[in-house]
Amino acid sequence: MNLLSIVTFLPLVGAVLLALVPRDEAGQHRAITFTVTLVTFFLSLGLWFGFDVAPGAAEFQFEERYAWMSSIGIGYHVGLDGVALLLVMLTTVLMPIVVLSTWKAVEDRVKEFMVALLVLETAMIGTFGALDLILFYVFWELILIPMYLLIGIWGSQNRLYATVKFFIYTFAASVLMLLAILFLYFHDGNTFDYVAARTALQATPVTPEQGRWLFLAFALAFAVKVPMFPLHTWLPDAHTEAPTAGSVILAGVLLKMGTFGFFRYALPLFPEAALEYRGLIAVLATVGILYGALMSLVQSDMKRLVAYSSVSHLGFVMLGMMALSAEGLTGSVYQMLNHGVSTGALFLLVGMLYERRHTRAIAEYGGLAKQVPWLATAFVVVTLSSIGLPGTNGFVGEFLILSGTFLSRMHSGTVFATLASVGVILGAVYMLLLVEKVFFGPIVNEENRHLRDLSVREGFVLAPMIVLIVVMGLLPGPFLAPARPAVNQLVKRFQEVESRLNQPPQVGTQPPAIAARPTTPPGGAF
Amino acid sequence: MNALPIRDFAAMAPVGILAFGALALMLTEVFLTSGRRGYQAILTVAVAVVAATAALVTPPAGAVFGGQATVDAFSAFVTVVICLGVALSALVSAGWLNARGAERGEYYALVLFSASGMALLGSASDLLVAFIAIEIMSLATYALSAYLRRGKRPSEAAFKYMILGAVSSALLLYGSSLIYGATGTTLFSGMHGARGAGSMLLVGGLGLVAAGIAFKIAAVPFHAWTPDVYEGAPTPVTAFMAAGVKTAAFALLARIFLSSQTGAGVADLSFEKVLTVLALLTMVGGNLLALPQRSVKRMLAYSSIAHAGYLLVGVVSAKVEGARSIALAGVLFYLAAYTATVVGAFAVVGAIEARNQGDDEPPRAWDLSRFSGLARKNPLLAFAMTIFLLSLAGVPPTAGFIGKLYIFKAAVGAHLYPLAVAGILTSILGAFYYLRVIVHMYMKPAEGTEGVVAAPTMALALGGAVLVVAVLGVFGDPLVRLAQAASAVVM
Repeated sequence: MNLLSIVTFLPLVGAVLLALVPRDEAGQHRAITFTVTLVTFFLSLGLWFGFDVAPGAAEFQFEERYAWMSSIGIGYHVGLDGVALLLVMLTTVLMPIVVLSTWKAVEDRVKEFMVALLVLETAMIGTFGALDLILFYVFWELILIPMYLLIGIWGSQNRLYATVKFFIYTFAASVLMLLAILFLYFHDGNTFDYVAARTALQATPVTPEQGRWLFLAFALAFAVKVPMFPLHTWLPDAHTEAPTAGSVILAGVLLKMGTFGFFRYALPLFPEAALEYRGLIAVLATVGILYGALMSLVQSDMKRLVAYSSVSHLGFVMLGMMALSAEGLTGSVYQMLNHGVSTGALFLLVGMLYERRHTRAIAEYGGLAKQVPWLATAFVVVTLSSIGLPGTNGFVGEFLILSGTFLSRMHSGTVFATLASVGVILGAVYMLLLVEKVFFGPIVNEENRHLRDLSVREGFVLAPMIVLIVVMGLLPGPFLAPARPAVNQLVKRFQEVESRLNQPPQVGTQPPAIAARPTTPPGGAF
Repeated sequence: MNALPIRDFAAMAPVGILAFGALALMLTEVFLTSGRRGYQAILTVAVAVVAATAALVTPPAGAVFGGQATVDAFSAFVTVVICLGVALSALVSAGWLNARGAERGEYYALVLFSASGMALLGSASDLLVAFIAIEIMSLATYALSAYLRRGKRPSEAAFKYMILGAVSSALLLYGSSLIYGATGTTLFSGMHGARGAGSMLLVGGLGLVAAGIAFKIAAVPFHAWTPDVYEGAPTPVTAFMAAGVKTAAFALLARIFLSSQTGAGVADLSFEKVLTVLALLTMVGGNLLALPQRSVKRMLAYSSIAHAGYLLVGVVSAKVEGARSIALAGVLFYLAAYTATVVGAFAVVGAIEARNQGDDEPPRAWDLSRFSGLARKNPLLAFAMTIFLLSLAGVPPTAGFIGKLYIFKAAVGAHLYPLAVAGILTSILGAFYYLRVIVHMYMKPAEGTEGVVAAPTMALALGGAVLVVAVLGVFGDPLVRLAQAASAVVM
């Protein structure tokens, strides 16, 4: 059992432990869960520092392999590439914060709540770590059950509708992926192993038609999770109705599973089909950016606003990925982390406001900055990160995505990049308007006059997020480094396909107009 | 044939043990001195365990009684699964019947008689033996479904079951006679003897036999009896029927189907086309009909039809040489997983159902609203039901998921993509109606304050079923290997 497996299953062990603690001891449940998630985080630091980012290092590290259900070809095979590592870290960082944030918010059935959170953590880490297709699918589906309960039991008024919609949408989209996985089993020489599948698909590609169907089956599952326009309709409901912890995890980690799925499975397994559908996905991503931003502009419910902003932000992630250039892909990975941090923080803040006033309606607020200066400050910092102000993490990601798309060889990449830039501006508009309506202006509602500012606990919840926002904005290097080998690997995979298909280059970056001008080679003057 | 085929009788030991166990339980009523009958369920479980052990340790004898029955790893597997169903449902019955003051030795005797018929069916390789086995199995289940005669529903259920069952037996028998006419034998292995002019007769015969079996497995459009019978019968009986009858009938279907597929001159019988259509109709019909049900018992009845559809996909997939071993092992694994899951699910239904007031069933005895707030009234019961429902829906990491995975894998391996896609898409409908129960258990406030308590024996059965479902979902490897070994011998 290596470190990765320990990090994966420690929360599950914690969940079993919780089951043994008497129901009435809510304090113990909170404390144990917090300790378990914190220990998981510290252990995952071992992964972070132990990961070798040198160019020649192994693609998948912390690899582990056991025969699991070998009689049907399923193996326990886990390992991390840089992107998976970043997302595992995002998960382990967020979880203790989430647990801390629910300290006061959840009073009812604390035991079940904490068990659900811990099972969820194992499932999330497992999804990122899995290198066997069925193992991946098992973790992927395992997420649905605790999330379904989180929304359905601890959510707000309309929770039943939201949770069933969430479950059915994601379940329906993923079962077709299962069929595609089963097809690959027979194609890859009777194994569900991911690495073997990739090698086999490289050596003997499927026919173009098969490739198309397989790609679509995978892409549908991931597109719903991302969510991409027009499959996003479950998201505003789920986000709005979920308890704060659910929203944070949903925005912070679950949506990344969709983009991660594209990056790890749909694109490298079926690059030929991916090239065919790239334009369509880029169009949908751009529509998502603009649509999400416009919808955010008109929301009267804070959580719904943040939810639609997620649609917009994830559109950027998908657009950067479809650019298939090193910058675009790197930016896409970086934006996954940013969105996890900044939207996670936004949901935490909205949750804190909700705990004080028990309403999410923007119109109920106004002029809060004087009453709760610390909360307002934190909100503004997170807002700036969300709209990508230079110096915050959001800027690095959006810049890489936009420049990567602009310079990519994708058909009409410049158009996509230009339209997406409009989305950036719209993003600034709706977020700043939200800040203005909630925190500035006169206090209209008398109830807002006596609100508590951040408690110490809430300070501890927000501080790590703000530190991350600043550090990732000023020092992106350490966070970009692990992603680089994985990104290069993906670009290389596409270039091989291109050269095999004898097509004009579509991936990578266009030669910069100025640098490409023929210059006199050094020494040529003689 | 020699006068006393001792070897042949010894090979059929599990069937004999079940039948003798039934007789022993009848005798317990004769010599009963006190009113306490708790030991009868334990005795039934013991008989099931002994029979299952006997099935596992008896060396496979191969063809016995002149080839009319086959004792091999396949029949052993089927017997063990049936014994699992007997043991679990007997434990469920004990608490359920005791609470209604209806615990009698005859009940368990009927269960064991029925099980002996099922076990015999697992090794039948002759149409007449199959017919006799089906009759042994069915007559006992007719009686069982009328066991609690109070009220209209059990009588209606039993009557309907018997009439339709008799029709299906007649179809089976008539089909057998046609096959005999075409081939001159009733042995499954003799079916490929048909050629030329006789072949139409064979097609007709096989069609009638298939219709007879389709009645037993409740395939659409032969399913109409299922919801009424499953709902009307006492809940533990429903659990036993859903698990046992399905297992035995699928074992028979698998053997007949394989004989029709191997052997010259019958490859063009298009038996598998009939089954393909049946599978499609059953998956779509079962799931669609389960969708609007408010009664959880009736919903589970329709869902058992849907599961028969998935199993049919597995059987049809066995037509392709390359996918045959996966398909058969998948069907066997699915049956084992389904047995534990469905008995568990019906047990929970039995625990929460409204008690009879006077002679008739209270209205809405199994209504969804009775599950409301179960997670607060009895968290363990709600948790167990959640596990069963997730397994029925095929959500990992449960036994039901591995079963579905296995069957669809066979379908993909056999290039039956339309069937696989239909199965996968209809299972989404399944998720919808199973989830509705979870919604009621966890997310709706309780109606009424009456507590829900599971009797100790029922708790034991539930614990066992949860364990089987969870363990098979995560560490199902040993059972898969057994299923593979069992399927290897019939190919």
